[in-house]
Amino acid sequence: MAREVKKKKSTKLIALSSANKAYEFNKPLEKSIKYQGKKVDIKLREDPNGFSYIVWKNKKYMLDVIEKNQNRYTIMINGVWHSFTVETPISLKRRRFLEQQGESSSVVSIEAPMPGKIIDLLVEEGAEVKQGEPIIILEAMKMQNEISSHVTGVVQSISVKKNDSVMKDDVLLYIRKG
Amino acid sequence: MKINSILIANRGEIAIRIIRTAKKMGIRSYAIKTSKEPNAWYLEEADEIIDFSECFDDTPEFLDIERIIYNAKEHKVDAIHPGYGFLAENPDFARRCEEEDIVFIGPSHDAIYRMGNKTIAKELAKKNKVPLLGGSKGTVADPEEAKQIADQVGYPVILKAAAGGGGRGMRVVEKEKDIERMFNLATNEAEKAFNNPAVFIEKFVREPRHIEFQILGDKHGNVVHLGERECSIQRKHQKLLEESPSPALDPALRKKMGDAAIRIAKSVNYFSAGTVEFLLDDQNYFSFMEMNTRIQVEHPVTEMVTGIDLIEQMILIAEGKKLPFSQDDIKLNGWAIEWRINAEDVQSGFSPSLGTIEKISWPESDHIRVDTGVRDGSVITPYYDSMIAKLIIHAETREKALQQSSIAIRKFWIKGTKTTLAFCRAVLQNRNFRKGKFNTSFLSKELKIHYHHEPDEELLAAFFAAYDYAREVHEHEDKPLYVEKGKEIAPWLLNKRLR
Amino acid sequence: MDVKGRNFARFLDRQQVYDNQHDAGAAGKQHAKGKLTAWERLDILFDEDTFEEIDAYVTADRTDTGFGKVKQAFGDGVNIGHGLIRGRLVFAYAQDFTVMGGSLGSVHAAKIMKIQDMALKMGAPMIGLIDSGGARIQEGVASLAGYAGIFYRNVQSSGVIPQISVILGPAAGGAVYSPAITDFVFMTNQTSYMFVTGPNVVKEVLNEDVTFNDLGGAGIHSKKSGVAHMVHEDEENTLLGVRQILSYLPSNNMENPPEMELSEDETKDMEEKLRDIVPDDANKPYDVKEVINLLVDKRSFYEISENYAQNLVIGFARLNGKVIGIVANQPKVLAGTLDINSSTKGARFIRFCDAFNVSLLILEDVPGFLPGIDQEHDGIIRHGAKMLYAFADSTVPRITVILRKSYGGAYCVMNSKNLGGDFNFAWPTAEIAVMGPEGAVAIIYRKELEASEDPVAMKKELVARYRTEIANPYIADERGFIDEVIDPAFTRQKLIRAFEALENKFMNNPARKHGNIPL
Repeated sequence: MAREVKKKKSTKLIALSSANKAYEFNKPLEKSIKYQGKKVDIKLREDPNGFSYIVWKNKKYMLDVIEKNQNRYTIMINGVWHSFTVETPISLKRRRFLEQQGESSSVVSIEAPMPGKIIDLLVEEGAEVKQGEPIIILEAMKMQNEISSHVTGVVQSISVKKNDSVMKDDVLLYIRKG
Repeated sequence: MKINSILIANRGEIAIRIIRTAKKMGIRSYAIKTSKEPNAWYLEEADEIIDFSECFDDTPEFLDIERIIYNAKEHKVDAIHPGYGFLAENPDFARRCEEEDIVFIGPSHDAIYRMGNKTIAKELAKKNKVPLLGGSKGTVADPEEAKQIADQVGYPVILKAAAGGGGRGMRVVEKEKDIERMFNLATNEAEKAFNNPAVFIEKFVREPRHIEFQILGDKHGNVVHLGERECSIQRKHQKLLEESPSPALDPALRKKMGDAAIRIAKSVNYFSAGTVEFLLDDQNYFSFMEMNTRIQVEHPVTEMVTGIDLIEQMILIAEGKKLPFSQDDIKLNGWAIEWRINAEDVQSGFSPSLGTIEKISWPESDHIRVDTGVRDGSVITPYYDSMIAKLIIHAETREKALQQSSIAIRKFWIKGTKTTLAFCRAVLQNRNFRKGKFNTSFLSKELKIHYHHEPDEELLAAFFAAYDYAREVHEHEDKPLYVEKGKEIAPWLLNKRLR
Repeated sequence: MDVKGRNFARFLDRQQVYDNQHDAGAAGKQHAKGKLTAWERLDILFDEDTFEEIDAYVTADRTDTGFGKVKQAFGDGVNIGHGLIRGRLVFAYAQDFTVMGGSLGSVHAAKIMKIQDMALKMGAPMIGLIDSGGARIQEGVASLAGYAGIFYRNVQSSGVIPQISVILGPAAGGAVYSPAITDFVFMTNQTSYMFVTGPNVVKEVLNEDVTFNDLGGAGIHSKKSGVAHMVHEDEENTLLGVRQILSYLPSNNMENPPEMELSEDETKDMEEKLRDIVPDDANKPYDVKEVINLLVDKRSFYEISENYAQNLVIGFARLNGKVIGIVANQPKVLAGTLDINSSTKGARFIRFCDAFNVSLLILEDVPGFLPGIDQEHDGIIRHGAKMLYAFADSTVPRITVILRKSYGGAYCVMNSKNLGGDFNFAWPTAEIAVMGPEGAVAIIYRKELEASEDPVAMKKELVARYRTEIANPYIADERGFIDEVIDPAFTRQKLIRAFEALENKFMNNPARKHGNIPL
C-alpha cells in the first residue's frame, strides 16, 4: 500500500486584490515573477533580528503577514497593507460566477467582527442606513465597539437583541441594499 | 531645595524620557506599575517600581491623585513629574503636591488654573496686548447672544467648550441660519464630554497655520522662549508631525510672536516649561489660542535645535535655580522634524490598530533621535494612546532634514501592527510640503491619499500571498507521513486495545 | 472493432457511452452552478491516477416506475471506488448531480452500501462527496430503504474507521442523517446546503420566508448549528482540507495516527513567551490559541468547529511529530465558561479521539458553567454531563494543564485527576478553588460583611487574602490533586515526556455492551 505519492495539481495561482485586480503566478514556489516579459527572481529573506523582507530588483521591501485565514491574506509591504484571496484557476472561475449571481441577490448580512455582548441596537427593522453608519454597539474586551453598516439600504431583519452574547461572525442583522 | 528622587506619574515614552534625564542628574526615579501593562519597558528603566496593579475602584491609575500622593509620601519621594496628559494640567494635583510638601515639577497650580480657563486666559492676553481673535468676552449664555457676537466679528465663527480640548465640543458655524442649531449641539457635546455646557465663541480662521512657542521661566521672574514649533500637519486636531523652526516665520515675526508668548507667561508669573499656541493666517497675522502648562509631546524638536534638555531645566527650575541663559544666548541651530509613529490603520481612516509589536528597529546615527516606550514584544493596549514612537531628525537645513527623514523612515521597521509610517512617506512625497507651503487643512485638502506605496509593492504582496498559500499546500501535501509508525504498536497494548 | 483479432466492440461501445455521459455538456451544467463534477472532485481528492472506479456501468433497475420515468444512465448518479490519499487506501463515493439531480434510488443506494461495506472490511477511511436532490421520488419506498441501509452502515463503521462527509451541493431530508452520523462534515460556502425540511415546506407550514443559505448554508451550520465542522470558500480547498484532516487520523481503530517529522524551524523546547501570555489581572482575557501554537509543532494545529461554540477550542495538532487532540477553554469568548454548545462540541471530539487512539491534551482556564435561565432550562445539566462522561470513559492518555482559573464543577469536568487524568499540571498562575474569590467571600463572610462599617474595603481585603491563601495551585499540588506545578516556559518539554511515558497506557474498563452516555 505504500505506493509512491503522486499529486500533480495545476501550480498556477491567482492573488485577487480587494479591488478585484488579479495577479497570476504560474509557479509561485519557484520564486520568480514574469515582469514586463522577463523572468525576474524574488528573494525572500529574514534578517538576524527576525524581520522578513523581499529583495526585488536589488531593492529591499519589508514584509509582514497581518492576517491569514484559509485563502484570505493581508500582507503588509513597507508599511502599507494589501488584502487578497488566493485562487486557483477553477476557484477563480467559481468566484466570478458566484459574484455575478450575488449581484442580483440584494440582501447582505452584517456580522459580529469579534465575540462580545450587544450593548445597544441603534436601528430598527425598516430603518434606512447609510454606508458607514453605526448600527450596533458591541462590548468586547471591556470596550464598546461601534459596528457600522458596510452598505446603504434598509434594515430587513435584526437577528439579535440587547444583552445577547454573540460569537465572532454571528449574523447581527440583514440589510436590503438600495 | 535639591531634588534627589522623582516619582513619574506617567508611562510609556515620556516616562522613559524623564528617567533618562533623572539618571543623568543622579536622581532616583520611581515608576508606577499598572495591571494594564505590567511588562512595559518604562518600568525596567526606573530605579524603583510602585505597584498599582491592584485596582480598588474605576479611577484610572494615572488619574488617582490621592493614591499617587500617598505613595509618593510613603516612599519619601522629593518630587513628582506628571509628564503630559493625565494629571499634567490638573491644578488640584499641583495644589495637593504643594500641600503635602512634594515638589510638583511644573508651574504653580494658580498658573495651571488660569491658563486652563479659556475665558481668564483670553482676558490676560487682551490685557497684555497679545492679538486675539474677535469673539465673546466670556462664555455665551444663549443662541441669541451667540448670534449677536457672530454678527459683530463676522462669519465664519467657531464655538468652543470652555472646559474643552482635543476637538470635542467644537463647532464651526458658516452661516447665520445654523448658529442656533450648532450652539445647542456644542453645549450638549460639552456637557457630555466635560460635565460643563459653557461655550464661548470666536472668529474662525480658515486654513491657518498652527505655531507654538516653547517657554521656560524660573521662579525668579525670568522667562525666555526657545523658538517656535510648526504643528500644522494635523488630523482632527491631533498633531502628526512637528518641526522647528517653522518655514513660515522670519526673525522679525519670530521676535514679535516670541515676545507675545513671554508676555502671556509673565502675566501668570509662569515658571517651568510651557507652550503658547498661536494661529497664523496667510497674511502673517497671528492670534493667541491657548497656553499649555506642561511639557509637550513634541518637545524634542526644540531640544534638538536649541541643545537644551527641557526636562533637566524643568527639574532645575523646580529646585529653585535661576535660568542659566538669557534670551540672547538662545540660538536656533539647524532644523528638526518629529514624525509621530502611531499604531493606526491609515488605510482605514486612522483607526487604532491594537496588537503586539513583534519587532521594532530603526537606523541609528548622529542626526536621528528616537523616543519610544515600546520594544520587541510590547503590547499596544486599548487603554492608552496609540503612539509607538517619535522619530526626530536633526539636520543643517530643512531640505536635508527631509532627505534624512526619507531614509530613516524607510529603515524604520515595525512588525506586528499597522502603523502610520506609510502616512509619513506620503507626506514626504508631497511637493507643497517639501516647499514648506502648508497649513492645518493639509490633510483634508492637499494630501489626496494618506499613505504612499510604490507601484511594485502590491505585486510583491500578491506574490507573497500566492507563495505562502502554495507553500502551505505543499507542506500539507508533501511532508512525509509515517503511516507505518502508526502500525508499530507494542504487543502489550495491541491485544488489549479493544475493550 | 477488433483488438488482436478479438471482438471488443461492445466493451468499447460501453466505454464510449460512459465517456459521453461525462462530456462537456454535463460538466457545463455543474460549472454553471459554481460547482465541480463528481469526477473532477474525485480527481482533486485522490493522489493522481490512483482512483479505481467500480460499478461504473450499473443502471437503475426499473426505468418505468408507474409514477414518472427514471433516466437510464451508467452509474445511476453515483461514482464509487477506492484510491490513495497521501499513499493511504481510502474508499469514497461521489454523487453525480448531472444524473437525475444525484437523487438516491435503490441501485444508487446499493452502490454506496457496497463501498461502505468494503471500507469497513478493509479498515480504511470512508469519504462521501454529497451533492444530491434527495430520495428519488419515483422509486418510492425502495429509496427510503436505501437511506436506512446507508445509515445502518454509518453506525456500524462508527468508531472503527474514520468517516467524513463532504457536502458540495444540496443534502436535504433523510440525506442529512448520514453526514450527521459521520465523524466530520465539510461544507463549501455558498454552494452547499443541509436541511431536514426545505424553505418551501417552511413557507407552507409556518408561512416564513427563508433562503436556502439562511436555512442551511455553510455559515449557519458552522456558526449556529454546529453541524459542519469545516467550511471552505471553494470546492478545491474543501477537498484539500479533507486530505489534510486525514493526515491526523489513523486508517482504523487498531492503528495509531501517522507521525510526521519535525520541521527544521521547529518550536523551541523552551518558550519564554508562555510565561507572559496569561495576564496578571484574573479578569483579563487572552487568546488560548496563542498558547496552543507555542506548545505544539509549528503550524500543526488544525482547529475543528472554529466558529461554533468559540468558548471551547478543539482540534488536532502534533507534538514532537505525534498526533494529539486538544480541548482548551477560550478565555477570550464568554470568559471561557462552559455552556451547552461547548459541552456537546467538546464531548463529541473527546469520543472521536478515544475511539481512534488520539491522546488528549486539556488546557484549562474555566471560571465555571455559564449561568442563566436559558442554559438551565435547555438542559445544561445533561449536556454538561456529556463532556464529563466522555472524559471519564476515555482510555487514551490524557493530560491537563491548568493555565489559570479552575473553579467548581468545571474543575471536575475538565479532566481532573479523579476523573482519570493521567498527568495534571498547573502553571503558577493557576487558581484552583470551589469558587471565585468574590463569590466565596460573599458566602463565607456574609455576616461579617453586613456588620462592617466599610463593607467594600473589607471585601477587597478578603478577596485579596482569598487569592493568596486559597486560589492558587499549591494547595492542590501539596495534596496530590495536581502532579506538578510547572514553569510555563518548559511546558512543551514536560508534555512530550509525559505523553511518551503514557504511550502504552492500557485500561481495563468493565465488560459491558456499552455505557449509557447522557444523550
